[in-house]
Amino acid sequence: MMKKLTALGLMAGMLSVPAFAQNKIEFKEFDLDNGLHVIMHQDNTTPIVVTSVLYHVGSKNEQPDRTGFAHFFEHLMFEGSENIERGEYMNIIQSHGGTLNAYTSNDITYYYESLPSNELELALYMESERMLHSKVDQTGVETQREVVKEEKRQSYDNRPYGSILIETLKRAYTVHPYRWAPIGSLDDLNAASIEEFQQFYKDFYVPNNATLTIAGDIDYKQTEEWVKKYFSEIPKGTKEIYRPDIEEPKKTAEIRDVVYDNIQIPAVIQAYNLPPKADKDSYAMSMLSTYLTGGNSSLMTKELVDKQQKALALAAIPLDLEDGGIFIMYGITNMGVEPKDLETEIDKLVKQVQEEGISDQDFEKLQNIMENNIVSGNSSMAGIAENLAEAHVMFGGADYVNKVMDAYSQVTKADLQRVANEYLTLDGRVVLYYLPKPAEAAQESPEAAQE
Amino acid sequence: MKKIAISFILSLLVSVVSFAQVDRSQFPKAGPAPVIKIGEAETFTLDNGLKVFVVENDKLPRVSFTLVLERDPLFEGEKAGLTGFVGQMMRAGTTTRTKDQIDEEIDFIGANLGVSSTSMSASSLKKHQGKILDLMADVLYNPVFPEEELEKLKKQTLTGLATSKDDPNSISGRLSSAMVYGKDHPYGESTTEESIGNITVEDVKSYYTTYFKPNIAYLAIVGDMSKSEAEEVVNKYFSDWEAGDVPKFTYDTPAPLDKTVVGLVDRSSSVQTVIDIAQPIDLTLGDEEYIASRVLNQIFGGGSSSRLFMNLREDKGYTYGAYSSFAADKLIGQFSASASVRTEVTDSALVEFIYEINDLVDNGVTQEELDKAKANLAGSFGRSLESPATIANFALNIERYDLPKDYYETYLQKMNALTVADINKTADDLIDPSKLYITAVGNGSEIKDKLAQFGEVMMFDNMGFPAKEMAAVDADMTSEKVIENYIAAIGGKAKASAIKAAKLEMVAEVMGTQLTIQLIHDDANMRFAQKTIVGGNVMQTSVVKDGKGTASVQGQSMAMTDEQVDATQLSTYFLPELHFETMGYTLTLDGIKDVEGTPAYKVIVATPLGSSVTNYYSVESGLKIKNENPVSGDTFYSDYQEKNGVLIPMTQTIKSAMIPVPLEAKITNLEINPELTEADFN
Repeated sequence: MMKKLTALGLMAGMLSVPAFAQNKIEFKEFDLDNGLHVIMHQDNTTPIVVTSVLYHVGSKNEQPDRTGFAHFFEHLMFEGSENIERGEYMNIIQSHGGTLNAYTSNDITYYYESLPSNELELALYMESERMLHSKVDQTGVETQREVVKEEKRQSYDNRPYGSILIETLKRAYTVHPYRWAPIGSLDDLNAASIEEFQQFYKDFYVPNNATLTIAGDIDYKQTEEWVKKYFSEIPKGTKEIYRPDIEEPKKTAEIRDVVYDNIQIPAVIQAYNLPPKADKDSYAMSMLSTYLTGGNSSLMTKELVDKQQKALALAAIPLDLEDGGIFIMYGITNMGVEPKDLETEIDKLVKQVQEEGISDQDFEKLQNIMENNIVSGNSSMAGIAENLAEAHVMFGGADYVNKVMDAYSQVTKADLQRVANEYLTLDGRVVLYYLPKPAEAAQESPEAAQE
Repeated sequence: MKKIAISFILSLLVSVVSFAQVDRSQFPKAGPAPVIKIGEAETFTLDNGLKVFVVENDKLPRVSFTLVLERDPLFEGEKAGLTGFVGQMMRAGTTTRTKDQIDEEIDFIGANLGVSSTSMSASSLKKHQGKILDLMADVLYNPVFPEEELEKLKKQTLTGLATSKDDPNSISGRLSSAMVYGKDHPYGESTTEESIGNITVEDVKSYYTTYFKPNIAYLAIVGDMSKSEAEEVVNKYFSDWEAGDVPKFTYDTPAPLDKTVVGLVDRSSSVQTVIDIAQPIDLTLGDEEYIASRVLNQIFGGGSSSRLFMNLREDKGYTYGAYSSFAADKLIGQFSASASVRTEVTDSALVEFIYEINDLVDNGVTQEELDKAKANLAGSFGRSLESPATIANFALNIERYDLPKDYYETYLQKMNALTVADINKTADDLIDPSKLYITAVGNGSEIKDKLAQFGEVMMFDNMGFPAKEMAAVDADMTSEKVIENYIAAIGGKAKASAIKAAKLEMVAEVMGTQLTIQLIHDDANMRFAQKTIVGGNVMQTSVVKDGKGTASVQGQSMAMTDEQVDATQLSTYFLPELHFETMGYTLTLDGIKDVEGTPAYKVIVATPLGSSVTNYYSVESGLKIKNENPVSGDTFYSDYQEKNGVLIPMTQTIKSAMIPVPLEAKITNLEINPELTEADFN
């Protein structure tokens, strides 16, 4: 009986390999003379259209004394243009039944809007206005500086553990511009002149640094015509786009530090340097992070949160970046557990993976989870547009969206053990202890004010 | 060659022409409104009564199964909270699988399975559908309802309830439901400690055997599955499910008000007031005015460009957001408008709310507002169609609410046909501005009087029950007398003053971890030391002596500022009441308040530098029963026992926003007038 079951399990495992495939995403592409790359994906099932522009500029393209520019522009670019009144960008999209958003990373800035499909021309017009002649003036800069100040307060300074990324990047890189986070420095933004902001716009918000993606209920021909109508007149950038060519030297010694923050419960952070985003080991690292902390039955969650109860929560996040990101692991300690104690247990589990690898059963589970995630990532037009744009800019071509699953299916069990040994090296890592700020904690601790 | 050249020149010409045509000063016009194609659901019914809807969508190799039970709302009475346990109890183990096994098997295929008292939903990749259906069926047919799971759930629910009793939004929700529907209505009752205690495994089982019946169930299958395959699958997994009689219930419609009334929960630590204005409305999905009510809400308070938001946030800055809703329900719906506003502007904000409601009913909406609202709603309707689950939901609604088959197909046409007059009529039909329930949760002493202008003010407790009537303070009562009474009650000034110092150790348990607090009070020399030990490690200490203070956390120490020392001194004496006068503290008597059912004098103690705490002394016994401290939260004193002729509270219960569960600390060791050395305060 037992044998039969095992045999059946093996067969099921083999069968699932050829089924490891995804539905193909069809698309068309073209380039304008000014260098704008355009990707279109037609899907007429729902009468909506997602229009997005990816500008290949992130915090790594900033100068060390002008950090936070790329993210600041994400705000500034909603101030309006020569034809769109100040503050009206969002209203116009919303009153035509749409939604919109934007984000900035260390590598890119991404804008998108989702509208009823009969408003595609409006969406293209709006994005072309942004690219052609956005308002970069004193009033806008001052308004958005206040907004960004509030954002920094809310998301970084006031949020418990909110500074983890900033503090980690600062130590994980010594020379590469990844050493500062996209939020950057308010002092830099305060010090910058209006001319500097205008120059940044001229340097990076140019068609030859942008990818326009349109996904949804569209007609390919009509879409192409409208794209040409609104984007052709935008002049190509005159300068070569600054992309830092700086190699971060491999660290040979562990960096260890303590950060005092407005928190109640200590946390342990570990960060390891990763290969460049497009490196094939990225897939194995992504699977490894899922194995360690993804879901209730993952290795670390089961062992350290459920069983030993040393941690309240644990997460391993591979921040994969164009020039090589970092693998951040953080654990929040349970009541009365010393950070050192939790760190020792985390290290033990990492070591276990390095020495013993993972079981067949767990490997199969991982493959299933990755497959489900990839399939689900293409379940909306917004997701498809983003994946296509990223594929073009980061992975050498939009068709990469149809090859992701293949790339994952080529990762072997042995690869996971190998990357655990190769990248999770103790002598090149950053370890931070987050501890409660003494004065604050004493004031706020419930015991101090009894009686 | 020539041809190419010509076409090249032509295309140049064309593009030049098209350049010239771009008039950027005009926004492009929208194309013709797209036809909304709503995929139709296939349906069939099994012999046992299970109605099945299939929405085939093979864009992605995924499939989901959602089972919905259609039963009447239940009045749970002394078992309130029972239905909240059913889903997790079902998923906690079957005759052949433990909870861990279920979790592992679901994770293994990257799938999801969720259960509630009226639904079950499962989803996975197409290729794992057999496995997820096995699991779903196992949980549906063979749950074992483990006793220990019920105990765990009860514990979690009690923790949640304790938190919610101090959470202004939860209090507001309970109050509003209790006022609008009454405590004897399914929508008005709320879960209490007592009702949770009454729930047994048998109750959960009995609910399961009564209501999990195919004849009141709908199954929606969405994703990569054809009707014929669905028939096969459904027959295999659901045809043996046995039908049975399910009880039906009817409820009286809440009696309408004669005029607007105000309900207030006094939460003295509040700096904001949670305002809700509610009214029961007769509105069900599919009613003639249903779609108009969506448009009406979008204009009035549905979003960040609606009237309420523009007035109360953008114009007045009273709040971070103000919104409204028109909830439709088969039994009875509800109109509601709410916001959290700064205490000082509670009445001003209510004036604006009432103004907006009156203005809406009296003067109606404008064409511009209507057009914008339509565009906004049409956009989100269109976007919602991207999710196949929406289509399944539409099919379910058509069945459950007996709607015309083309209800959603023609939804946008119906909406676009609505006129300003239609919306105004709906506003008039649904809202009666003279009969509103206004509820407020906030600092009663600041806002109670100001609320009277809106209607009769009734006081409620944090569970939505009418508050106990508190007697007015006798005219000759003063804060000094309250303190004198307290000192007399604990044993008299002579005995109390004989206590010059005390050393005590308190023990509490937080989420399974033991916490020890050591305190040393040297009242005679104004010295104080405190140490908190968790799991054998000193987590935090603080020392006050010679007018200076030091605090340290995990070995990091820091000097306190003068303000911090001042605030800490309020709490450093073992018997602080003996020292109020010498310290120059100001006392204010602020009436008699209800402290968990006990009437108590509220006394605010303030230092010359401006720090303050609030104490509550029982009217009957004179003893101190509660302390409110702006930094550390609320402390309740109980279990007074005589030590050296003085009554000392041996149990302290601490509630604070910083700890998830109320902390019950018991004194395990108490030394009165011990030998103290310098070392005790280092």
